[in-house]
Amino acid sequence: MGRIIKLGLTLAIFCVISAGMLAYVFIMTVPRIEANAKASFEGSLREVLPGAESFKNVVAPGTKSEIYEGYAGGQAVGLAVKVSPRGYSGEIVMLVGVDPEFRVKGMKILNQRETPGLGTNVEKPKFQKQFIGKGIKDAIEPKKDIDAITGATISSRAVCDGVKTVLRDSDQYRKVKP
Amino acid sequence: MNLWKDFNQGIIRENPVLRLMIGLCPVLAVSNNAINALGMSIAVAFVLIGSNFVVALIRKMTPDEIRIPIFIIIISTFVTICDYVMQAYSPALYQALGVFVPLIVVNCIILGRAEAFAYKNPVLNSVLDGVGMSLGFMLALVSIGVIREVLGAGSVFGFPLFDERIAATIMILPPGAFITIGVLMALVNRMENKVL
Repeated sequence: MGRIIKLGLTLAIFCVISAGMLAYVFIMTVPRIEANAKASFEGSLREVLPGAESFKNVVAPGTKSEIYEGYAGGQAVGLAVKVSPRGYSGEIVMLVGVDPEFRVKGMKILNQRETPGLGTNVEKPKFQKQFIGKGIKDAIEPKKDIDAITGATISSRAVCDGVKTVLRDSDQYRKVKP
Repeated sequence: MNLWKDFNQGIIRENPVLRLMIGLCPVLAVSNNAINALGMSIAVAFVLIGSNFVVALIRKMTPDEIRIPIFIIIISTFVTICDYVMQAYSPALYQALGVFVPLIVVNCIILGRAEAFAYKNPVLNSVLDGVGMSLGFMLALVSIGVIREVLGAGSVFGFPLFDERIAATIMILPPGAFITIGVLMALVNRMENKVL
């Protein structure tokens, strides 16, 4: 009996020391981790909507996407919309910028787990620049309007779907905007 | 003192990946390019050297019955520290390595060295064993990473060498990991057997 208590106490002491160290590391690093995440997301917003100086999270009823309106000198200069279409292995998290005429201005893949060497090519500018200038009325079908990536039809289709969702949601935002 | 032997046995003779064949899961998963391989090696080195040091330090006061839970507490503490520090100071690498950083906890190289070496040896020998094993792991992982990146993506450490359209994509996919690791194991075995 005494042995069990001794072993239990020894383990407890190890756990307490470990917890103390982790708490210290956590407090030291969390502000930096949060700042990194924020800075990297804001950097991506600026990348897809060049020219915008500040961003405001806006809501469009009837859409599920995260929409950010970009401003430059008090003027609205377009939207940046975050969508997560389903790719070949998991979601492709992407950010698409649209200009005030609701045409695609820039896009960036934030996170994806596609097949290396095939699906990951959706990050290449050569593929992405095909979407620039597309609007709500344009057809965006892989293999017809958009050259799909060889060996990665599903990933290409997911990105097309993502862009379509963005255009639909920004159109919805235009309609409900006061 | 066998300090030198404790240090260098992990590099080739008892190389954890190519000779002992432990810790293969992260090796297969993160070796598709040289930068990920190097980042993973550094993370493993930090955890392995740290845990070998602490385990050797407290081995006299560790009751035998609960040594494994204590090792796990020590290892997971180091892994979590590594996880947070990497997230704070190298977010791009953290994103590339993904789930494999927390999974260092169950990497058998680390628990294996704690049980087989650090628990039975003094602090200095254990730290040297940790450094040697880490170097061996790094050598194996980075070699595999470089070979796969050159053949599969036509670049090394992200610098393009030749047009990636003529690269063999299979090398950066899972089969490439098995092929490379098999060839390297064969080479190391041949080299070792000649020396003997």
